[in-house]
Amino acid sequence: MSASTQEINNLINKSYKQGFVTELETDTFPVGLDEAVIHKLSKVKNEPEFMLEYRLKAFRHWQTMKSPEWAFVKFDPIDYQAISYYSAPKRKEDGPKSLDEIDPEVLAAYKKLGIPLDEQEKLAGIAVDAVFDSVSVATTFKGKLKDAGVIFCPISEALRDHPELIKQYLGSVVPHTDNYFAALNAAVFTDGSFVYIPKGVRCPMELSTYFRINAANTGQFERTLIIADEGSHVSYLEGCTAPMRDENQLHAAVVELIALKDATIKYSTVQNWYPGDKEGKGGIYNFVTKRADCRGDNAKVSWTQVETGSAITWKYPSCILTGDNAIGEFYSVALTNNYQQADTGTKMIHIGKNTRSTIVSKGISAGKAQNTYRGLVKVLKSAENARNYTQCDSLLVGDKCGAHTFPYIEVKQPSAQVEHEATTSKISEDQLFFCQQRGLSAEDAVSMIVNGFCKEVFKELPMEFAVEAQALLGLSLEGSVG
Amino acid sequence: MSTVTTSRYVTEYDAIAAKLPGQNLPWLQQLRKDALARFSANGFPSPREEEWRYTNVSAIEKKLFSPVLGFVSHPNLQTVDADWLKSQQLEDAWSVVLVNGHFSIDHSKLDGLPEDISIMSIADALVGAKNFSPLLETYLGRAVNIAEHSLIAFNTAWFTDGVFVYVPAKQVLAKPIQLLNIVTEADAMATTRNLVIVAENAEAQVIETFAGLNDAYLTATVTEVFVDQNAQLTLYKLQTESEKAYHFGGTYVKQAKDARFTHHNFAFGGLLARCDIHTELDQASECELNGLYLGVKRQHLDNHTRINHLKPHAISREMYKGVLDDRARGVFQGRVIVAEDAQKTDSLMNNRNLLLSNEAEADTKPQLEIYADDVKCGHGVTVGQLDEKSIFYLQSRCVDEETARNMLTFAFANEMVDKIKIKSLHDKVLEQVLARFPQEGVEKDWL
Repeated sequence: MSASTQEINNLINKSYKQGFVTELETDTFPVGLDEAVIHKLSKVKNEPEFMLEYRLKAFRHWQTMKSPEWAFVKFDPIDYQAISYYSAPKRKEDGPKSLDEIDPEVLAAYKKLGIPLDEQEKLAGIAVDAVFDSVSVATTFKGKLKDAGVIFCPISEALRDHPELIKQYLGSVVPHTDNYFAALNAAVFTDGSFVYIPKGVRCPMELSTYFRINAANTGQFERTLIIADEGSHVSYLEGCTAPMRDENQLHAAVVELIALKDATIKYSTVQNWYPGDKEGKGGIYNFVTKRADCRGDNAKVSWTQVETGSAITWKYPSCILTGDNAIGEFYSVALTNNYQQADTGTKMIHIGKNTRSTIVSKGISAGKAQNTYRGLVKVLKSAENARNYTQCDSLLVGDKCGAHTFPYIEVKQPSAQVEHEATTSKISEDQLFFCQQRGLSAEDAVSMIVNGFCKEVFKELPMEFAVEAQALLGLSLEGSVG
Repeated sequence: MSTVTTSRYVTEYDAIAAKLPGQNLPWLQQLRKDALARFSANGFPSPREEEWRYTNVSAIEKKLFSPVLGFVSHPNLQTVDADWLKSQQLEDAWSVVLVNGHFSIDHSKLDGLPEDISIMSIADALVGAKNFSPLLETYLGRAVNIAEHSLIAFNTAWFTDGVFVYVPAKQVLAKPIQLLNIVTEADAMATTRNLVIVAENAEAQVIETFAGLNDAYLTATVTEVFVDQNAQLTLYKLQTESEKAYHFGGTYVKQAKDARFTHHNFAFGGLLARCDIHTELDQASECELNGLYLGVKRQHLDNHTRINHLKPHAISREMYKGVLDDRARGVFQGRVIVAEDAQKTDSLMNNRNLLLSNEAEADTKPQLEIYADDVKCGHGVTVGQLDEKSIFYLQSRCVDEETARNMLTFAFANEMVDKIKIKSLHDKVLEQVLARFPQEGVEKDWL
């Protein structure tokens, strides 16, 4: 079956199109991290006093911590003093008021990425917050969202304009003591998105943040906070890319979601950071803490992720199901190729009665990559009639890659039903033969099988992202294959 | 356990070292020395170690059990009720008895054992009985490394005796061999090291049973098993320690090409019991691991399995079932590793848990680690309740609900009991299972 192996390789070895660098004048802090840097950062961002204290508290705690080693990934220790913690395109005194004031180079960069910041453009159904290195450069459709009562703005703006919400919710899901990277993030986070959906509001459009790392030797530390008040509904998308560089860059983000009574949050990610070259040189270290708290009864949070980029991915979007009847979902496709390493999965903590969670994880491992699913399902004593269904499937392409499954299941409530199932296999020759025998080329057959393998997850993505995700996997749409 | 303070066991070690077997063997002295150094450095495993995440053995450090020394081959058994001892021995097997960690020839029944099959005290074998010493040097510590975890190091440094079983090539044993481990003294510790070698094309069945009087004591046993080319070994383990006892039992297996290994693990006793079963598969070898753990009261039962597929075409099957009542906690950690070379591996792992009470807990961690591409691997885990539809079905056939539940729970456990092929052992295990289901309606005609 060497012919078909060739086809699979062709499909997977697509070049990284987003690897360009934008030449810009930037304000960049010199490398290094100490309390002075944090003071300076807080000052540059014009933050209220309580934030500075929060950052310093986090920084002091971070200094007492050690970098975790339990994950199934290998990398050289990171020199945190060799990273610059702030880099932003140079701008006028008060920052851009409208799109006209944004550096045209930045606009051009986003255009090249296919993310038009121009509100008149085709993607009119989506409001975009564009984060370039350490700052948010533009947020579209602010006016229209404001009419609906929705707050969608860079988090640095929210710190100034909505301190009461920040004080109440920031760090309430991921405290600064949570883990090494969360502590670092709490100390030095630069920007990110802030979303607040008021009571009973269904957000009129999809919200989206597009993260771009551009500057060299910087780390991106973004912080996203989404609050869905009672009975509200929001769908949020996130995309990310970075230039091709030989050095590894660090991306340590924290995302906190809070769903109150009857609220629904749908969070989708297409992660396409630069994965490094074929020899495993360069690429982004993507160490992310994402967690949702379903605080109210009947709250629902759904995570969908398509992870194709990053040299190392280390993230576990989690749900704390506190309210009764709360629902947590996790749908994931993780593709690793060449020397990429992914250790990803989810945590579902069942606390409320009748809480339900679904985990569907699809891992595809090719080249010399290592792809690990790591997940925790924990049912506390209070979670009567909790229900979990977990399915983890891995597909292996090539004989040098690895696929691993490490689920943790802890149940303290007898009325809970917990199921976990995992399989690992390669594309079966029988399946390929069957397709070819029906007149499909080997390429189409592989494409169709891989696409079918991931379909359960792709169908959870919003339309535009589903298209992008499929394109990312180098696969044509199912319909066009027949 | 804290790594700063040295374990109290280490400070006691010097006093007993001279009485441990194998003083005249430099290689064993070195092995013990390395193991002691490792144990002194690390102490007992801590829940911070990934493989010990759900099991905390710090009570063993606090209790300070002491080894029973001073007699080697004729332990004083006057305190042991002869009838009780007899009840622990299986009638259709050759049996050897280990009392408080020492081989007791007086209580062993080996009549009719073919001459070329060796079953003897490992302490005797070490001092040169039947010239097995070089063989021991080759095999001891080969199936498991002291670096694996501290309890291995502990066992290696402290073992007082054990059983050495050698089945030569092409021998098919007519009867199973029972290794009966009993502890009769409070606060004693029985550290035994067994070595089982089944040579080419041979076939054997070995039954390890553990029992004790109603005291707090520690059993820490390690069994190394070598199944040679095309040989077959079925190993049963019936652990019915006293309800205050601490038990650690590790079985480490190396399978050669085409070797077949089956393990049946019944974990019923002990306050805290941890069982390791690790096996390494060579080309086209097969292994089957079955387990049943029944936890009541405050029992903590941990089963830790590892199947390492090193070469192509090997097959592994695993099924562990747990029934947990009262405040019991059941832990299952199963790991399947498929090496880069091990193409065409076929592996399946299952763990099913039934929680019967609000206070019971099940923690399970099945793991797949796969480095080859042409493999079929799967695992499944469930934690939950009896199927309501099955209960309804039985009720519709005029069985009351409680009886229906008991019947289904029993049937859930009995599936594992029915896999036992040795009559006397089957009956003994069944008796143990039934003792844990005292409710009306279980022991009925339908059995």
